[in-house]
Amino acid sequence: MQNTKGLSLEVRLSAYLDGEVSDTERRELEELVTRDDEARLLFEMLQAGNTFGNKAFEDFLHDPVPLSLVRRIKQGTTLNPKSERVTATVPVHHRVKLWPRALAASIALLIIGGSTGYLLGMVNGSSQSNVEVAAARSWLDDIAEYHRVYSRQEKHLVEVPASAGDDEIRTWLASSVGVNFKLPALAGEGLTFEGGRLLVAAGKPVAQLMYKNADGDVFAICFLKSEPTGEQGKLNESIRDDLAMVSWQKSGASYVVIGPSADAKLRHLAETVSAEI
Amino acid sequence: MRPATESNEFRRDLVSLLPKLRRFAMTLTRNAADADDLVQEACERAITRSHLWNGEGRLESWIYAMTRNLWIDEIRKRKVRTGGGTVDIADQDELTIEASGEKAVYANQLQKMILSMPEGLASVFVLVNVEGHSYRETATILNIPIGTVMSRLSTARIRLAAMISETTERRA
Repeated sequence: MQNTKGLSLEVRLSAYLDGEVSDTERRELEELVTRDDEARLLFEMLQAGNTFGNKAFEDFLHDPVPLSLVRRIKQGTTLNPKSERVTATVPVHHRVKLWPRALAASIALLIIGGSTGYLLGMVNGSSQSNVEVAAARSWLDDIAEYHRVYSRQEKHLVEVPASAGDDEIRTWLASSVGVNFKLPALAGEGLTFEGGRLLVAAGKPVAQLMYKNADGDVFAICFLKSEPTGEQGKLNESIRDDLAMVSWQKSGASYVVIGPSADAKLRHLAETVSAEI
Repeated sequence: MRPATESNEFRRDLVSLLPKLRRFAMTLTRNAADADDLVQEACERAITRSHLWNGEGRLESWIYAMTRNLWIDEIRKRKVRTGGGTVDIADQDELTIEASGEKAVYANQLQKMILSMPEGLASVFVLVNVEGHSYRETATILNIPIGTVMSRLSTARIRLAAMISETTERRA
């Protein structure tokens, strides 16, 4: 609590608004506002400023965050944020000179990333052939491309809508891709099931379950039958431009959850899906 | 060395804080381009120093203080380099935030207007009123006395209240 006695009335009333005054001062100020018109007007002005300012600053949160910034933080990539801003900016004099630090950080991250990759390669051995790696990569690349196209289809987001019934969609996709699954209930994650699609990626049938959040962002769960390679159940994160993907393998199938790269909770979503599907 | 999973979690926490970090940086720099650079620098510094984060309190408070310190350093460097300081948003010819449509243009004008408040007011308002930090926390983050927090806050509220009629007139 602050002692505001002796300070100007607007400072005292402002502190009262924030609950930062003692009980004695609170009572004193409440009485003043009740009996003094000038004090009441001032108090109402402070309240109005609060409401207006809250709304205005809330709107700042809706500005898109530069995707390159998200990527740099999530993965330590060497992208130049200035060339990839999603918000347009005008040139400003006396800009911060960040390139020497960015360059140093990029080199350090490159060395760390390279050496980590090399060491992981040494640990895992060479059992995973180049062909398998290429196939896995192309599957996820195909999924990313599909997602970019379908997530923009407002009216035709899915091939079979959720209204067809969970059993209908589950039976259809399970028999088509050869993977038994349970439709994950993701209402707790703020997602509504929209329906499903059957895709072809890397030459194989892929099941796609589409969900939307309250903001209209589209998330998809895709899976296909596959031979077990690598560590089962381990989640792998990757980003393809505006999309983030979390993939894993489990019981003879490969899965991926895909959504906007700005979504920070995608991994948590993938963990939920992995446990439920 | 920090375990990889812990480091990944820290990065994820940072990403989820980005909109708020960017807003706070805007209140300091008062233009979007500088704010983005500042947020990037603050995040890079936070990642390299993540082993110093003890997990107590709010992560954003720790990063806000770092962001504020970086900005003070930057202002000092600019003054030494050029004898000048920041480019105030009020002095810029164009808005620094992308907009299209009447609603977005209005939002831009509003942002420009509130960021044109005298230096220090917007930061205090956001920390206390919008994000619910106490006076003491705010004073620590901004490295200013509590009395300054109180006076800036009341001034900010009165200025914001005065903007209501101004924006109403502009929209009419």
